[in-house]
Amino acid sequence: MPDTLRHLLRTPQGLIGGGIILMALLAAIGGPAIAPFDPEAFHVRARFSGPGATYWLGTDQFGRDILSRILAGARSTLFLAVAATALGTVAGAVLGTLSAFIGGWVDEALMRIVDAVMAIPNLLFTLLIVTVLGASGVNALIALGIAFTPGMARITRSVALAVRQQDFVNAAVARGETGSFIVLREMLPNVVGPIIVEATIRVAFAVMGLATLSFLGLGAQPPSSEWGLMVAEARPYLFRNAWMMLFPGLAIALVAVAFNLFGDGLRDALNPRA
Amino acid sequence: MSEAPAVLSVEGYDLSYGRFAALRDIRLAVPRGQVLGLVGESGSGKTSLAYAIMRHLPHSAVEGGGAIRLSGQDLRAMTAQQMRHIRGSRLGMVFQDPSASLNPTLRLGEHVIEVLRRHKRLTRPEARDRTEAMLRRVGLREPAAMMRRYPHEASGGEKQRVVIAAAFAAEPECLLLDEPTTALDVITARQILELFTELQAETGVAALYISHDLALVSRIAQRVAVIHRGRVVENDPAAQVFSNPREEYTRRLVAAVPRPDLRLVRDAPAEAAPVLAVQGMTVRYGRQGLLQRLAGRAAPLPAGAREVSLELRPGEILGVVGESGSGKSTIAKALVGLNGFEGALRHEGRSIAGPAAMDRDYRRAVQIVFQHPDASLNPRQSIGQILSRPLALYGTPDGLSRRDAVAALLEEVQLPADFAQRYPHQLSGGQKQRVAIARAFAARPKVVICDEITSSLDVSIQAQIVQLLLQLRERFGTGYLFITHDLNLVRQIAHRIAVMYRGDLVELADTAALGGPQSHAYTRALLDAVPTPVG
Repeated sequence: MPDTLRHLLRTPQGLIGGGIILMALLAAIGGPAIAPFDPEAFHVRARFSGPGATYWLGTDQFGRDILSRILAGARSTLFLAVAATALGTVAGAVLGTLSAFIGGWVDEALMRIVDAVMAIPNLLFTLLIVTVLGASGVNALIALGIAFTPGMARITRSVALAVRQQDFVNAAVARGETGSFIVLREMLPNVVGPIIVEATIRVAFAVMGLATLSFLGLGAQPPSSEWGLMVAEARPYLFRNAWMMLFPGLAIALVAVAFNLFGDGLRDALNPRA
Repeated sequence: MSEAPAVLSVEGYDLSYGRFAALRDIRLAVPRGQVLGLVGESGSGKTSLAYAIMRHLPHSAVEGGGAIRLSGQDLRAMTAQQMRHIRGSRLGMVFQDPSASLNPTLRLGEHVIEVLRRHKRLTRPEARDRTEAMLRRVGLREPAAMMRRYPHEASGGEKQRVVIAAAFAAEPECLLLDEPTTALDVITARQILELFTELQAETGVAALYISHDLALVSRIAQRVAVIHRGRVVENDPAAQVFSNPREEYTRRLVAAVPRPDLRLVRDAPAEAAPVLAVQGMTVRYGRQGLLQRLAGRAAPLPAGAREVSLELRPGEILGVVGESGSGKSTIAKALVGLNGFEGALRHEGRSIAGPAAMDRDYRRAVQIVFQHPDASLNPRQSIGQILSRPLALYGTPDGLSRRDAVAALLEEVQLPADFAQRYPHQLSGGQKQRVAIARAFAARPKVVICDEITSSLDVSIQAQIVQLLLQLRERFGTGYLFITHDLNLVRQIAHRIAVMYRGDLVELADTAALGGPQSHAYTRALLDAVPTPVG
């Protein structure tokens, strides 16, 4: 693993992506502590101010410091995005590997269901789930996780099918190993590489998906400083103070790009032939 | 040494990848009308040399001193533009895998027409007529029809004939052949070799024939150069290399080439009840569609093996030979429960109805070793973990801890005990195959099925693995079902040999009787096609 890390940091994508993610992580862990102001504190005399010496990124309609709110919001945004991806990845990986190992009509049935789910546009599908579950941050997480599962199952299955053909799996079957041993101990360790790469790239989608849900009022609820929610709250004041919308929007874009770059770097680092 | 001026000559050539010296001070010369065989094991640098001559080296390659001359001109001084003209016109090439060297989106005729138009400046109709004549010359029936086909519509042998036609079409001065018959089955390989020899004599082209197969090269080449770790260690007339090698390395290489007249197994198996008996085994592939089954219109599924009957006595070595796709591996997989089958299978008198009926006793008694050691060992598990699994399933020998049992297994296959901590990618191909053998023997089996276990290994490693198998048999009395396409090898060790052809078992005879007058026509064709060592 240290080897992979060294390879990763040697690629420019990995280095830049990793750097930004590290900064975002620091904000998520120590956000409120390093924030110059209390993210919830109103500064009534300084409403709608632009970037300046006191409020570096300006203030919103209540005079809350935008920089402090972004730093505080990193925690909920990142946590929700990573957790949603992890949920979708684990569910998809187990489903995909199992489907590839069993084969036959079980595989056929599972994959047709996956096809059917994937035919529904992703955003529409998450909206549907959130509508059923109710609007909250955790429900948005679950919805995104479920929406990611079919795609991850599909990718895992294609990798697992190649692994299924390998003779070490045949050897395990010939030895009389149980199905769960073969799936969990022989096959899964050999499919994690591509899955981790895909999952990293998907975190970027999760960040944007969560922001979209919050923007539509179906994710995090006020007074949370989740970034998508901040953009949504800034919308009515677009012409009075555009900075209010610009900075959280930039934060979302930056983290999404960073995870994408990191995923690309990871793919190159994990591929020995590159 | 012949006095004719060399068409192709390599003079003191060096090549390295980073700090690794791939080729050192290579000196070779091929005069007109002669074939120089270049023999070496994998990693010896023979393919690097071919790419160096083609001027098609990867970016990581660093060239040292020396010259590569084609009819006196130094190829190293050529520009990329000049080389593009020389390749294909004055310097032809034939590679190992014909399906990789033909463009799958072009009709077979186009491959030859392109060469003629580009290098001979023929008009399209002229080129087409010449191509038809060329394809007829390389022994393709109905060349006009063959020209219209795509590569996937032709067999491996037909494709390699087209590649040879394209190589000879531009009337090159020199040909490079890199293992041109390795991907083909024995009989086709023999035909391709005969065709090449004829065309070579007819055109007087100089040829460098690269191969790992010393027996084959010594038949077609006038001189043989042996390359070892980037150095040419021997460069002598073919007959002399084989019968009277000068270098220690060559001597070892020659000794490792299997000779059918040199039996390695002397004892005969005991006249006991068979440990494994197969009666009328048929293995089918694919599955019936649900709709077809409901409609009652299910077509019979294609069979990988039909009505095969054979039995294996305790301690017997039964060879199974046949070309690829003949059903050898299909039977092997059915015997260890990887394929379903019809027909009867009996293990020590007990009937086994199918894969589901194979209990722990059966699985312990019948073990398999696969062809590619890379694929049969899980890359994410250490050797110790890999060898522990059969011990966990079938039990550890009395009074031994798991750790000691693994060490004992490694010792049985002559590997150091500290290999238990290593991972498969840290081992060489031969070492990995030893681990796979140790895994099979952990169960103390009565039968080990060896599915082409030596065919991805170099000839000297192959000899060591076979020695190991024979020692283990001596010690444990294990019987082997030895599947291979190498007739010379199997005739050295097998008591009886089964010949398979397109899914049928066409012959099952004692090794000594094989190829006699009563033999099946296919068996005799197979025996004729195998290159036996000269001298």
